[in-house]
Amino acid sequence: MSTVDSSAKRSALAPLGKPFAIAGGVLAIVAALLPWVTFSLNDGNWPDKSTLQFFDAPFLVTGFRWHLLVLGVLVLIAAFAPIPSRGRVVRALGWGVALVSFVNAAYITVKGGGLGAITALDGATAFGGVVGIVAGVLVILAGYGIGVEPVQDWNVKVSTPVAYLVLLVSFGAVLYAVAAMLTTGGVGTANPYAGAIFLSFLGFAAGLLAALSGVGFVRWLSALSEQHRVFSVIVLAACALLLPFTEAGNEYWMTVAANIGIYAATAIGLNIVVGLAGLLDLGYVAFMGIGALVAANFSGAATAHFGITLPFPVAAVIAAIVAGIFGAVVGSPTLRVRGDYLAIVTLAFGEIFTRSAQNNIGGITNGSNAIPGIPALSLFGAEFNRSISIGAVKLPAGVLYYILIVLLVAATMAVFANLKFSRIGRAWIAIREDEDAARAMGIRTGKMKILAFLIGAMLAGLAGAVFAHKNGTVSYESFKFLESVTLLAAVILGGMGSIPGAVLGAALLFVLPEKLRDFEEYRLMIFGLALILIMRFRPQGLIPDRHRRAELANEDVGGAPVDEVHVGPKEAKA
Amino acid sequence: MSVLLQQLANGVIQGALIALIALGYTMVYGIIQLINFAHGEVFMVASYGGLATFTLLPDDLKKSPAVALPLMFVGGIVVAVVVAVIMERFAYRPLRGAPRLAPLITALGVSVFLQEAVRVWYPNATSNLPYPKVFPEGNLTLGSVNIAWTGVLLVALSVGLSVILQTYINKSRMGRAMRATAQDPDTAKLMGVNPDRVIVLTFIIGAVLAGVAGVMFGGYLNNINIDMGFQNGIFAFTAAVLGGVGSIRGAVIGAFIIGLIKTLSGQYMPGGTQYDYVWIFVVLILVLVFRPQGLFGEPERVRA
Amino acid sequence: MTALLEVRNLSVAYGAIEAVRDISFTVEAGQIVSLIGSNGAGKTTTLRTISGLLRPASGEILFQGKPIHNDPAHAILGEGIAHCPEGRRLFPRMTVEENLQLGAYVRKDDGVQADMDRVYELFPVLGERKHNKAGLFSGGEQQMLAIGRAMMSKPRLLMLDEPSMGLSPIMTQRIFDTIKELQSLGTTILLVEQNALAALALSDHGYVIDLGKTTLDGPGHSLLADQRVRDAYLGEAH
Repeated sequence: MSTVDSSAKRSALAPLGKPFAIAGGVLAIVAALLPWVTFSLNDGNWPDKSTLQFFDAPFLVTGFRWHLLVLGVLVLIAAFAPIPSRGRVVRALGWGVALVSFVNAAYITVKGGGLGAITALDGATAFGGVVGIVAGVLVILAGYGIGVEPVQDWNVKVSTPVAYLVLLVSFGAVLYAVAAMLTTGGVGTANPYAGAIFLSFLGFAAGLLAALSGVGFVRWLSALSEQHRVFSVIVLAACALLLPFTEAGNEYWMTVAANIGIYAATAIGLNIVVGLAGLLDLGYVAFMGIGALVAANFSGAATAHFGITLPFPVAAVIAAIVAGIFGAVVGSPTLRVRGDYLAIVTLAFGEIFTRSAQNNIGGITNGSNAIPGIPALSLFGAEFNRSISIGAVKLPAGVLYYILIVLLVAATMAVFANLKFSRIGRAWIAIREDEDAARAMGIRTGKMKILAFLIGAMLAGLAGAVFAHKNGTVSYESFKFLESVTLLAAVILGGMGSIPGAVLGAALLFVLPEKLRDFEEYRLMIFGLALILIMRFRPQGLIPDRHRRAELANEDVGGAPVDEVHVGPKEAKA
Repeated sequence: MSVLLQQLANGVIQGALIALIALGYTMVYGIIQLINFAHGEVFMVASYGGLATFTLLPDDLKKSPAVALPLMFVGGIVVAVVVAVIMERFAYRPLRGAPRLAPLITALGVSVFLQEAVRVWYPNATSNLPYPKVFPEGNLTLGSVNIAWTGVLLVALSVGLSVILQTYINKSRMGRAMRATAQDPDTAKLMGVNPDRVIVLTFIIGAVLAGVAGVMFGGYLNNINIDMGFQNGIFAFTAAVLGGVGSIRGAVIGAFIIGLIKTLSGQYMPGGTQYDYVWIFVVLILVLVFRPQGLFGEPERVRA
Repeated sequence: MTALLEVRNLSVAYGAIEAVRDISFTVEAGQIVSLIGSNGAGKTTTLRTISGLLRPASGEILFQGKPIHNDPAHAILGEGIAHCPEGRRLFPRMTVEENLQLGAYVRKDDGVQADMDRVYELFPVLGERKHNKAGLFSGGEQQMLAIGRAMMSKPRLLMLDEPSMGLSPIMTQRIFDTIKELQSLGTTILLVEQNALAALALSDHGYVIDLGKTTLDGPGHSLLADQRVRDAYLGEAH
């Protein structure tokens, strides 16, 4: 089916591949220089001087017009340069052009109240958006025409110092991209066009990233970082710690970034259970809740149940242990239950947690009143939620939390990475691929599965403890089913079993709502739709785990598609 | 004693409602081994569909229950069927043959989407909406037990429709095709059975029953909200598992057991109605762990 | 005159593994044609591809001169090809009668009951226990039911995959007698068998398949006499 489609497209478009790419690239550059809006909108001129302005000095364009220009130039380069899997790269760049153009044009149309805003009105013309969309479509078609071939593996071996340098530069670029992503469009509602600017940037970034991935660079880089994973984690952590010194270094973004970090750490924990061991957990956020409740009760908050106040590190360890115990308990049915039935068991446990917490079970959750007033963390007398100064550099408030959480994320990543490549990790992957075969090979599957739940729950418990102090309030409301689904979506969106994937997934799912206040109402709806679309079009996630790729997506596996209703155990049994 | 009898009656009515939803779960699972998580939301959407139908009726028809009520059923069922068919065609069908977690995650997405779509787009759906008073009013009194007539209607519909469904599956040509597809999809194709048609039909039947349930839910409880789908969906799924997924009789019996557990635990277990929900989940876990094939399921059907 | 079934240069792959590469053969109307070969030679894959359960990677399948290799599995029966799969694949939790009714699923005419009675005539044991669940029957009886079920669609071409598998010699003989009888009633038969001796003795034409390729073909009796066939498949030692 998919094979047939793409080959059919290829045959019809094949001779047009290169001309389309050239035309599309040129049009994208032209679009970048054309005016985009025929009049000044109510909220002010469209950003980047795109209202009724031609640009005569091409390299002075800014913002989305600059992005389009870059993409257009890259398309032209890709059309002529001898690069691997050219069709795939061109298609990715085409999507970038199309997305940037579409987002801007759509926003302008909506805000300007009609198509007149992006075409011609009262004698003024502004065809930038239309030209940009046409360019994008042309380039995408060109990609199919050239032929979308599987991504090739690079067999480039580099010496350790060079590898270190490549990793440093790449992660530096990631840091820059993250800072840019956070700051584009400004903070919250300050800029009326913030949502459009951000989405447009995201389209640009996605196009570039997909092109890099298409050419094989991302795969090579991820292999390289797995090879030097200690170094990678250190560099990544260092980059993350540098974020407060960039444009994003203000209280607002420190808070958002810290929250993302907490969820990212939790998502990595969930990734152990779902991504590595292949056990779908639909009640995972309950472990975070348990950790948060334990920490809250030992924090000295007025409504804490136990009269004991423990120092945070001790409370955090207890939180992790308690959550871990619950994890093992929840995981114990895995000894008898598999697959989607197990998912339902975890969902049931999650619901039992929510319901019990809501009813203030044992007096430890304070029910719907929550446990407020959890004191902020402090270290050597420095409260974590205040701003600090190191010499002449003044760092924004919340930066200490941010640092703590970066360390937490780094620690969970290190745990994950080491487990993944250990005997235990291999056992999990074996169970995920074929549990019966794993057992036949002598893996103690039951013990291993419970261990996955236990470790995943401990990480969530730890993250929950930090969450309690960071937010100052613990309520069962924060740990409902939908949160579990959100975390699961983060893992799946990023790519199951992949570490950077989980972080990226968590970042996207928790940054997008901050950026898209306009769409607050539609947040969950878009999110449900996103789950459906990801499973349909990219089940392996944005940054797929290299070992898992073949299993979830059939694009890299040759052969004939078979129209089975379902394959697997049923057939094997007959 | 009268409290017990009253709670038993309430439990049977709850069970009748759950049974109508559980049949949709059990049939879809029987055929494509998918936990159609979004089925609870189909039930919810149907309830709103019934309400919308009533709202759109001209005023004189609103006053005539004999016209308004059947039209509400039609409206609810049509909405449920349309939603279910679109869902099957565009969300699930492309994923046939994909790893089993993929459609389950899609089902979660569909569920969230439907719930949010109603919340955002249905007028005032953020709060409880009252259901029109077009249902038979008053109670049937048996000794000390009072049963609302809507409850009686609900039980009658539920039992009647399940008997019809069971007969259809056992006797009709399409019913045979459905059973064949459930038992061995490849061989069913060799018999000329078009699996797409069988699967769509399965979703449609589930949606029709959920549509009836959605409208009756509003009639029995007098108001509806967007959370009703998730909760009752979970109850119904539990019932389907308890009865043995794939078994129609099992789903119905399971549903009545769940209904009774809910009302009786709310009355007699510590924590009262605040924890009835929890007991159902405890039962669900125990069944899945100790008898995953359910009460009437065949062990061979339990899948990895 | 076009052949009833013509398979041209067929290749089929499971993922990266080619199970069938470049098989060609023809089945003329009224014949019994057998495909023989060792385990894993690609015989079953070939039948499953003809009946649409698998898609060919390349090659063509023509039935009465019309290409059918892009048709979905459920449409193949309507073309006139019935497939009695390996391992019988009855619906074990349905009765004999229901299994036969499913065999006639695509038929709209009213001769179904008469044809069912003919199956009962051919296999009296099925008629005696027509309300019993198919899963309760012995291997030979199940094979009869499977053949009967395939006959219910009144196919032009009946494909039988390993009909003698797991059966006693007596039962095997009965099944082969039945196949001969079906031919005499006008059904063309494509037979896949490991029991090469019995299959070739029965066949008008035979094809030897090895490692996914047709290596030899000829009339059944001449293949039986061929030393290479005897060495490879008939277990004769020198």
